[in-house]
Amino acid sequence: MTGCEDALVAFLLDQVDAAAVDHIRTCPRCRAEQPVVRALAVRLAADPAPTPPPTLAPRVLTAAGPLLARNAQGAAWRAAWPAVARALAAALIPLPAILVFDVALVRAIYSLLGAVLPHGLSLYLVVNHAALLALLLTLTYGAVPFLAARQARLLLQDGYRHG
Amino acid sequence: MGTDEELIGRVGVGDQDALAELCRRYERPLYHFIARHTGGRDVEDLYQETWLRAVRAAPRFDPSRRFSTWVFQIAVNLCRDWHRRPPPEPVEPDDNLASTSDAPEARIDARRLLAALPEAQRTVLLLRYYHGLSEEEAAEVLGCPRGTVKSRLHAARERLGRFVESA
Ligand SMILES: [Zn+2]
Repeated sequence: MTGCEDALVAFLLDQVDAAAVDHIRTCPRCRAEQPVVRALAVRLAADPAPTPPPTLAPRVLTAAGPLLARNAQGAAWRAAWPAVARALAAALIPLPAILVFDVALVRAIYSLLGAVLPHGLSLYLVVNHAALLALLLTLTYGAVPFLAARQARLLLQDGYRHG
Repeated sequence: MGTDEELIGRVGVGDQDALAELCRRYERPLYHFIARHTGGRDVEDLYQETWLRAVRAAPRFDPSRRFSTWVFQIAVNLCRDWHRRPPPEPVEPDDNLASTSDAPEARIDARRLLAALPEAQRTVLLLRYYHGLSEEEAAEVLGCPRGTVKSRLHAARERLGRFVESA
Protein backbone atom coordinates (compact mmCIF):
# COMPACT_ATOMS: atom_id res chain seq x y z
CA MET A 1 0.00 0.00 0.00
CA THR A 2 2.74 2.44 1.03
CA GLY A 3 4.71 1.30 -1.99
CA CYS A 4 1.85 2.42 -4.21
CA GLU A 5 1.52 5.81 -2.47
CA ASP A 6 5.26 6.48 -2.63
CA ALA A 7 5.39 5.50 -6.28
CA LEU A 8 2.39 7.65 -7.26
CA VAL A 9 3.66 10.68 -5.34
CA ALA A 10 7.09 10.27 -6.90
CA PHE A 11 5.36 10.16 -10.28
CA LEU A 12 3.41 13.32 -9.45
CA LEU A 13 6.57 15.11 -8.34
CA ASP A 14 8.45 13.82 -11.39
CA GLN A 15 10.95 12.11 -9.09
CA VAL A 16 10.55 8.50 -10.16
CA ASP A 17 13.54 6.26 -9.68
CA ALA A 18 14.07 2.77 -11.16
CA ALA A 19 12.25 1.11 -8.25
CA ALA A 20 9.19 3.33 -8.69
CA VAL A 21 9.14 2.70 -12.46
CA ASP A 22 9.30 -1.05 -11.83
CA HIS A 23 6.54 -0.81 -9.27
CA ILE A 24 4.20 1.24 -11.43
CA ARG A 25 4.77 -1.09 -14.38
CA THR A 26 3.95 -4.23 -12.42
CA CYS A 27 1.30 -2.99 -9.97
CA PRO A 28 -2.29 -3.10 -11.32
CA ARG A 29 -3.49 -0.37 -8.95
CA CYS A 30 -0.71 2.05 -9.88
CA ARG A 31 -1.15 1.34 -13.59
CA ALA A 32 -4.82 2.16 -13.21
CA GLU A 33 -4.10 5.40 -11.31
CA GLN A 34 -1.17 6.55 -13.40
CA PRO A 35 -3.25 8.46 -16.01
CA VAL A 36 -5.08 10.33 -13.25
CA VAL A 37 -1.83 11.35 -11.59
CA ARG A 38 -0.47 12.43 -14.96
CA ALA A 39 -3.59 14.54 -15.58
CA LEU A 40 -3.17 16.07 -12.12
CA ALA A 41 0.50 16.86 -12.78
CA VAL A 42 -0.44 18.52 -16.07
CA ARG A 43 -3.01 20.75 -14.36
CA LEU A 44 -0.66 21.70 -11.53
CA ALA A 45 2.16 22.43 -13.98
CA ALA A 46 -0.13 24.59 -16.10
CA ASP A 47 -0.71 27.00 -13.20
CA PRO A 48 0.63 30.40 -14.28
CA ALA A 49 2.75 31.86 -11.52
CA PRO A 50 1.68 35.45 -10.83
CA THR A 51 4.29 38.12 -11.44
CA PRO A 52 5.07 40.29 -8.41
CA PRO A 53 4.29 43.96 -9.13
CA PRO A 54 7.43 46.11 -9.60
CA THR A 55 6.32 48.39 -6.75
CA LEU A 56 6.48 45.54 -4.24
CA ALA A 57 10.23 45.47 -3.55
CA PRO A 58 10.54 49.25 -2.92
CA ARG A 59 7.44 49.09 -0.72
CA VAL A 60 8.96 46.31 1.40
CA LEU A 61 12.30 48.12 1.71
CA THR A 62 10.57 51.33 2.79
CA ALA A 63 8.46 49.50 5.36
CA ALA A 64 11.54 47.68 6.68
CA GLY A 65 13.49 50.95 7.14
CA PRO A 66 12.62 51.56 10.82
CA LEU A 67 13.23 47.88 11.67
CA LEU A 68 16.64 47.97 9.98
CA ALA A 69 17.52 51.11 11.95
CA ARG A 70 16.54 49.31 15.15
CA ASN A 71 18.71 46.32 14.18
CA ALA A 72 21.64 48.67 13.53
CA GLN A 73 21.16 50.38 16.88
CA GLY A 74 20.93 47.06 18.72
CA ALA A 75 24.09 45.80 17.01
CA ALA A 76 25.97 49.01 17.86
CA TRP A 77 24.91 48.77 21.50
CA ARG A 78 26.05 45.16 21.63
CA ALA A 79 29.38 46.20 20.12
CA ALA A 80 29.77 49.21 22.43
CA TRP A 81 28.81 47.45 25.65
CA PRO A 82 32.24 45.83 26.40
CA ALA A 83 33.97 49.20 26.08
CA VAL A 84 31.44 50.86 28.37
CA ALA A 85 31.75 48.03 30.90
CA ARG A 86 35.54 48.36 30.85
CA ALA A 87 35.29 52.12 31.46
CA LEU A 88 32.97 51.58 34.43
CA ALA A 89 35.21 48.87 35.88
CA ALA A 90 38.33 51.00 35.45
CA ALA A 91 36.65 53.86 37.31
CA LEU A 92 35.39 51.67 40.16
CA ILE A 93 38.54 49.63 40.83
CA PRO A 94 40.51 52.43 42.59
CA LEU A 95 37.48 53.54 44.65
CA PRO A 96 38.24 51.48 47.83
CA ALA A 97 41.84 52.76 47.86
CA ILE A 98 40.65 56.36 47.47
CA LEU A 99 38.18 55.92 50.35
CA VAL A 100 40.83 54.42 52.64
CA PHE A 101 43.26 57.22 51.77
CA ASP A 102 40.65 59.93 52.37
CA VAL A 103 39.64 58.52 55.76
CA ALA A 104 43.30 58.29 56.79
CA LEU A 105 43.88 61.85 55.59
CA VAL A 106 40.92 63.22 57.55
CA ARG A 107 42.07 61.40 60.68
CA ALA A 108 45.64 62.67 60.32
CA ILE A 109 44.46 66.27 59.84
CA TYR A 110 42.12 65.96 62.85
CA SER A 111 44.92 64.75 65.15
CA LEU A 112 47.30 67.40 63.78
CA LEU A 113 44.82 70.27 64.26
CA GLY A 114 43.71 68.86 67.64
CA ALA A 115 47.28 69.31 68.90
CA VAL A 116 47.45 73.06 68.12
CA LEU A 117 43.83 74.32 68.01
CA PRO A 118 40.88 74.23 70.42
CA HIS A 119 38.79 71.07 70.06
CA GLY A 120 35.67 72.74 68.59
CA LEU A 121 37.58 74.67 65.96
CA SER A 122 39.65 71.67 64.81
CA LEU A 123 36.44 69.54 64.58
CA TYR A 124 34.77 72.26 62.51
CA LEU A 125 37.73 72.47 60.09
CA VAL A 126 38.02 68.67 59.77
CA VAL A 127 34.28 68.24 59.11
CA ASN A 128 34.53 70.94 56.41
CA HIS A 129 37.49 69.18 54.85
CA ALA A 130 35.74 65.78 54.94
CA ALA A 131 32.61 67.31 53.38
CA LEU A 132 34.68 68.84 50.58
CA LEU A 133 36.37 65.50 49.86
CA ALA A 134 33.01 63.70 49.86
CA LEU A 135 31.60 66.32 47.45
CA LEU A 136 34.54 65.93 45.06
CA LEU A 137 34.24 62.14 45.16
CA THR A 138 30.49 62.27 44.53
CA LEU A 139 30.94 64.64 41.59
CA THR A 140 33.69 62.46 40.10
CA TYR A 141 31.77 59.19 40.34
CA GLY A 142 28.44 60.78 39.52
CA ALA A 143 29.97 61.77 36.19
CA VAL A 144 31.04 58.18 35.38
CA PRO A 145 27.64 56.96 34.05
CA PHE A 146 27.29 60.12 31.91
CA LEU A 147 30.80 59.71 30.51
CA ALA A 148 30.15 56.02 29.83
CA ALA A 149 26.88 56.83 28.02
CA ARG A 150 28.68 59.49 25.99
CA GLN A 151 31.39 56.96 25.12
CA ALA A 152 28.70 54.50 23.98
CA ARG A 153 27.02 57.20 21.87
CA LEU A 154 30.34 58.01 20.19
CA LEU A 155 30.95 54.32 19.45
CA LEU A 156 27.39 54.11 18.12
CA GLN A 157 27.97 57.01 15.71
CA ASP A 158 31.28 55.45 14.74
CA GLY A 159 29.43 52.19 14.02
CA TYR A 160 26.94 54.02 11.77
CA ARG A 161 29.77 55.73 9.87
CA HIS A 162 31.62 52.46 9.24
CA GLY A 163 28.57 50.19 9.02
CA MET B 1 27.29 39.47 -2.50
CA GLY B 2 27.49 36.44 -0.19
CA THR B 3 25.32 33.51 0.79
CA ASP B 4 21.73 33.93 1.93
CA GLU B 5 22.83 33.17 5.47
CA GLU B 6 25.54 35.86 5.37
CA LEU B 7 23.05 38.35 3.97
CA ILE B 8 20.43 37.78 6.67
CA GLY B 9 23.25 38.16 9.22
CA ARG B 10 23.93 41.58 7.74
CA VAL B 11 20.21 42.42 7.81
CA GLY B 12 20.47 41.66 11.53
CA VAL B 13 22.87 44.60 11.91
CA GLY B 14 20.75 46.90 9.75
CA ASP B 15 22.21 46.49 6.25
CA GLN B 16 19.61 47.61 3.70
CA ASP B 17 21.60 46.44 0.66
CA ALA B 18 21.68 42.93 2.08
CA LEU B 19 17.90 43.02 2.50
CA ALA B 20 17.43 44.30 -1.05
CA GLU B 21 19.54 41.43 -2.38
CA LEU B 22 17.62 38.82 -0.35
CA CYS B 23 14.32 40.31 -1.55
CA ARG B 24 15.60 40.08 -5.12
CA ARG B 25 16.58 36.41 -4.67
CA TYR B 26 13.38 35.33 -2.93
CA GLU B 27 10.78 37.66 -4.42
CA ARG B 28 9.40 35.17 -6.92
CA PRO B 29 9.42 31.98 -4.85
CA LEU B 30 7.87 33.67 -1.81
CA TYR B 31 5.34 35.61 -3.85
CA HIS B 32 4.31 32.49 -5.77
CA PHE B 33 4.05 30.43 -2.61
CA ILE B 34 1.81 32.96 -0.89
CA ALA B 35 -0.30 33.57 -4.01
CA ARG B 36 -0.95 29.86 -4.45
CA HIS B 37 -1.56 29.36 -0.75
CA THR B 38 -4.19 32.06 -0.43
CA GLY B 39 -5.63 31.73 -3.90
CA GLY B 40 -4.29 35.17 -4.79
CA ARG B 41 -5.84 37.08 -1.89
CA ASP B 42 -3.86 39.50 0.33
CA VAL B 43 -0.66 38.35 -1.36
CA GLU B 44 1.19 41.68 -1.21
CA ASP B 45 0.35 42.26 2.45
CA LEU B 46 1.42 38.75 3.44
CA TYR B 47 4.57 39.03 1.33
CA GLN B 48 5.53 42.31 3.01
CA GLU B 49 4.74 40.95 6.46
CA THR B 50 6.96 37.94 5.77
CA TRP B 51 9.92 40.23 5.17
CA LEU B 52 9.14 42.48 8.12
CA ARG B 53 9.07 39.46 10.40
CA ALA B 54 12.32 38.23 8.86
CA VAL B 55 14.00 41.60 9.45
CA ARG B 56 12.70 41.71 13.03
CA ALA B 57 13.99 38.19 13.73
CA ALA B 58 17.25 38.60 11.77
CA PRO B 59 19.43 39.52 14.81
CA ARG B 60 18.50 36.14 16.31
CA PHE B 61 18.98 34.12 13.09
CA ASP B 62 20.93 30.93 13.75
CA PRO B 63 23.65 30.83 11.06
CA SER B 64 23.72 27.02 11.17
CA ARG B 65 20.21 27.03 9.67
CA ARG B 66 19.31 27.39 5.98
CA PHE B 67 17.84 30.81 5.23
CA SER B 68 15.48 29.38 2.59
CA THR B 69 13.70 27.03 5.01
CA TRP B 70 13.70 29.73 7.69
CA VAL B 71 12.02 32.35 5.52
CA PHE B 72 9.53 29.82 4.12
CA GLN B 73 8.70 28.87 7.70
CA ILE B 74 7.76 32.50 8.35
CA ALA B 75 5.61 32.60 5.20
CA VAL B 76 3.92 29.30 6.08
CA ASN B 77 3.07 30.55 9.57
CA LEU B 78 1.63 33.78 8.18
CA CYS B 79 -0.45 31.90 5.60
CA ARG B 80 -1.68 29.54 8.31
CA ASP B 81 -2.74 32.50 10.47
CA TRP B 82 -4.36 34.09 7.42
CA HIS B 83 -6.46 30.99 6.80
CA ARG B 84 -7.62 31.06 10.42
CA ARG B 85 -8.95 34.58 9.96
CA PRO B 86 -12.50 35.04 8.75
CA PRO B 87 -13.66 34.64 6.01
CA PRO B 88 -12.58 31.01 6.19
CA GLU B 89 -11.46 28.50 3.59
CA PRO B 90 -12.30 29.10 -0.06
CA VAL B 91 -15.10 27.09 -1.60
CA GLU B 92 -14.73 23.36 -2.02
CA PRO B 93 -14.74 22.37 -5.66
CA ASP B 94 -17.83 20.34 -6.32
CA ASP B 95 -19.55 18.72 -9.22
CA ASN B 96 -20.58 22.10 -10.61
CA LEU B 97 -16.96 22.74 -11.52
CA ALA B 98 -17.09 19.87 -13.96
CA SER B 99 -19.97 21.28 -15.93
CA THR B 100 -18.33 24.44 -17.28
CA SER B 101 -16.52 22.97 -20.26
CA ASP B 102 -15.97 19.80 -22.17
CA ALA B 103 -12.18 20.02 -22.12
CA PRO B 104 -11.02 18.26 -18.92
CA GLU B 105 -8.04 20.64 -18.47
CA ALA B 106 -10.39 23.61 -18.35
CA ARG B 107 -12.78 22.09 -15.85
CA ILE B 108 -10.52 22.12 -12.83
CA ASP B 109 -7.50 24.39 -12.91
CA ALA B 110 -4.64 24.31 -10.47
CA ARG B 111 -6.03 27.13 -8.35
CA ARG B 112 -9.28 25.28 -7.77
CA LEU B 113 -7.43 22.07 -7.07
CA LEU B 114 -5.25 23.77 -4.47
CA ALA B 115 -8.28 25.45 -2.91
CA ALA B 116 -9.84 22.02 -2.50
CA LEU B 117 -7.07 20.90 -0.17
CA PRO B 118 -7.01 21.45 3.58
CA GLU B 119 -4.41 24.05 4.49
CA ALA B 120 -1.84 21.56 5.82
CA GLN B 121 -1.97 19.37 2.71
CA ARG B 122 -1.84 22.39 0.41
CA THR B 123 1.28 23.70 2.17
CA VAL B 124 3.07 20.39 1.73
CA LEU B 125 2.08 20.11 -1.92
CA LEU B 126 3.23 23.67 -2.65
CA LEU B 127 6.58 23.15 -0.97
CA ARG B 128 7.23 19.77 -2.56
CA TYR B 129 5.72 20.27 -6.01
CA TYR B 130 6.21 23.95 -6.87
CA HIS B 131 9.27 24.77 -4.78
CA GLY B 132 11.12 21.49 -5.10
CA LEU B 133 11.80 21.14 -1.39
CA SER B 134 12.91 17.71 -0.27
CA GLU B 135 10.87 15.79 2.26
CA GLU B 136 13.45 16.73 4.91
CA GLU B 137 13.38 20.43 4.01
CA ALA B 138 9.58 20.50 4.01
CA ALA B 139 9.59 18.84 7.43
CA GLU B 140 11.99 21.51 8.68
CA VAL B 141 9.81 24.32 7.32
CA LEU B 142 6.70 22.83 8.91
CA GLY B 143 8.40 21.78 12.13
CA CYS B 144 6.96 18.26 11.85
CA PRO B 145 8.35 14.75 11.28
CA ARG B 146 9.12 13.56 7.76
CA GLY B 147 6.39 10.95 8.11
CA THR B 148 3.81 13.71 8.49
CA VAL B 149 5.03 15.40 5.30
CA LYS B 150 4.79 12.08 3.50
CA SER B 151 1.30 11.25 4.76
CA ARG B 152 -0.03 14.74 3.95
CA LEU B 153 1.34 14.50 0.44
CA HIS B 154 -0.21 11.08 0.00
CA ALA B 155 -3.53 12.43 1.20
CA ALA B 156 -3.27 15.45 -1.10
CA ARG B 157 -2.43 13.26 -4.09
CA GLU B 158 -5.34 10.98 -3.38
CA ARG B 159 -7.82 13.79 -2.84
CA LEU B 160 -6.82 15.69 -5.96
CA GLY B 161 -6.74 12.48 -7.96
CA ARG B 162 -10.38 11.95 -7.07
CA PHE B 163 -11.26 15.49 -8.22
CA VAL B 164 -9.44 15.06 -11.50
CA GLU B 165 -11.02 11.67 -12.03
CA SER B 166 -14.50 12.98 -11.39
CA ALA B 167 -13.99 15.96 -13.69
ZN1 LIG C 1 1.17 0.17 -6.68
